Amino acid sequence: MLGKLLKYDFRSVSREFMLLWPAALVIALVMRFTVFSGTGSESNQLPDLVNVLVVLAYFAVMVAMFVIALLFIIQRFYKGLLGQEGYLMNTLPVRPWQLVTSKLICAVVVTVISCAVAFLSMILMIPLTFQDIFNIDFQSLWKNLADVFPDMVLLLVELALTMLTGLVASITQLYVSMAIGHLFGKNRIVGSIVAYVGIGMALNVIFTLGASLLSALNIYNWMDWNLNYTTGVHLVLWLLIVSDAVLSVVFFFGTTYILKNKLNLE
Amino acid sequence: MADFLICCRNLTKAYGHRVALQGVDLELGRGRIVGLLGPNGSGKTTLIKIFCGLLQPTLGEVTIDGQAPGVYTKSIISYLPDRMYFADWMRATDLFDLFSDFYADFDRQKAMDMCRALGVNPHDRVKTMSKGTKEKVQLVMVMARKAQLYLLDEPIAGVDPAAREFILNTILTNYNEEGTVLISTHLISDIERVLDEVIFLQNGRITLHNSVDNIREQEGKSVDALFREMFRAMPMEGGGF
Repeated sequence: MLGKLLKYDFRSVSREFMLLWPAALVIALVMRFTVFSGTGSESNQLPDLVNVLVVLAYFAVMVAMFVIALLFIIQRFYKGLLGQEGYLMNTLPVRPWQLVTSKLICAVVVTVISCAVAFLSMILMIPLTFQDIFNIDFQSLWKNLADVFPDMVLLLVELALTMLTGLVASITQLYVSMAIGHLFGKNRIVGSIVAYVGIGMALNVIFTLGASLLSALNIYNWMDWNLNYTTGVHLVLWLLIVSDAVLSVVFFFGTTYILKNKLNLE
Repeated sequence: MADFLICCRNLTKAYGHRVALQGVDLELGRGRIVGLLGPNGSGKTTLIKIFCGLLQPTLGEVTIDGQAPGVYTKSIISYLPDRMYFADWMRATDLFDLFSDFYADFDRQKAMDMCRALGVNPHDRVKTMSKGTKEKVQLVMVMARKAQLYLLDEPIAGVDPAAREFILNTILTNYNEEGTVLISTHLISDIERVLDEVIFLQNGRITLHNSVDNIREQEGKSVDALFREMFRAMPMEGGGF
């Protein structure tokens, strides 16, 4: 059933982004051949104003892309499960966690692809030739990095996990805030915003307390680790991964609990 | 298969301090067309929403075909809400795809045939449809299922009398005869002729549950007349007259 839900949620993704993502890449390519076409001023034939406009257009598209992604994530959940469409989705023979998981997977994919598009468009913008790319000495680059960080692969995996859990925690925080806002009879949108800000403030307090607790315990000495720079980095990353994972789980099950037990569509 | 299709025990629902349903006990069999009748705000929609799993009761319990509302009961209930539930970008055919995927008892061909009979083009975008046409599409989706229980919340409230006849006939000619149809409405005279039994709901309590034949026999009057009598005698709550 989750697969079927994903099928319909991804249809809405494609309807929303199928033009936007390619447009961002095309504008980046246009910029490569206009604004960034040459190093010398004589090779740059276009007047300055046009350059400025193209750069502005690029930033407008990038900002628009992320704003639309954020609005999409919020609206697909709010309208799709808590609004009128909720009458359709919440009476389908599926479990609440499947509804939320489907929305969550879509939201993660939309964010990841948007970031990839932003990154790719930057690469496209810079007038590198294929030769330039092949000339980059990846081997020595890697070797130099590996000298500083001996466990480079592990670090990259940890970084990816940190970003993923951070992303999931941010999205589920939006979801649980909207679900809590749904409990407020009339002012549901205000309730959602209050819930979001409230959760953010509570987390701030918890993390500040946690950090000062850690330093008060003087945990590094206590554990008698042979502390070097990389161990510290690993430790921080895993702390982030675990705390974001815990938050995600709490937010996710909070959301499904409310959907299952406290749903009250208007 | 459970004896009764719907079984409620002391079903109570409160929204904060406001009590919408108060100790409802109800048993409904199969193959019946049942009218859920009551004035506005008597708890009809709340009761239906509990049956289809959109609300959790505050107290008491309900079983549909022997099971508490959940994935199984949702798969055998065909629900017509009292509002539009589709996104504007959809076409009727998109909704038919969705129903085909999720409900094993949805008959796509029947849905297309019903659209033709009702003069709806299923390839039109919902956005471009009139309110009446949207209601027809929603009715088609609900009635093209071979469900055990049809929950129709005010299916004829928003349409003119001529269309009411049309919608009622669509319901009558298309429902699964082994299933039960529960129609909530306050427009009794329009649907009285099709009902097997009626439930009167008032201030969240069931004040009457009987077959239409019994009512005519015992009271010597139509359900509509009885309804008007019962509810006219009641002063407006808090109205003070």
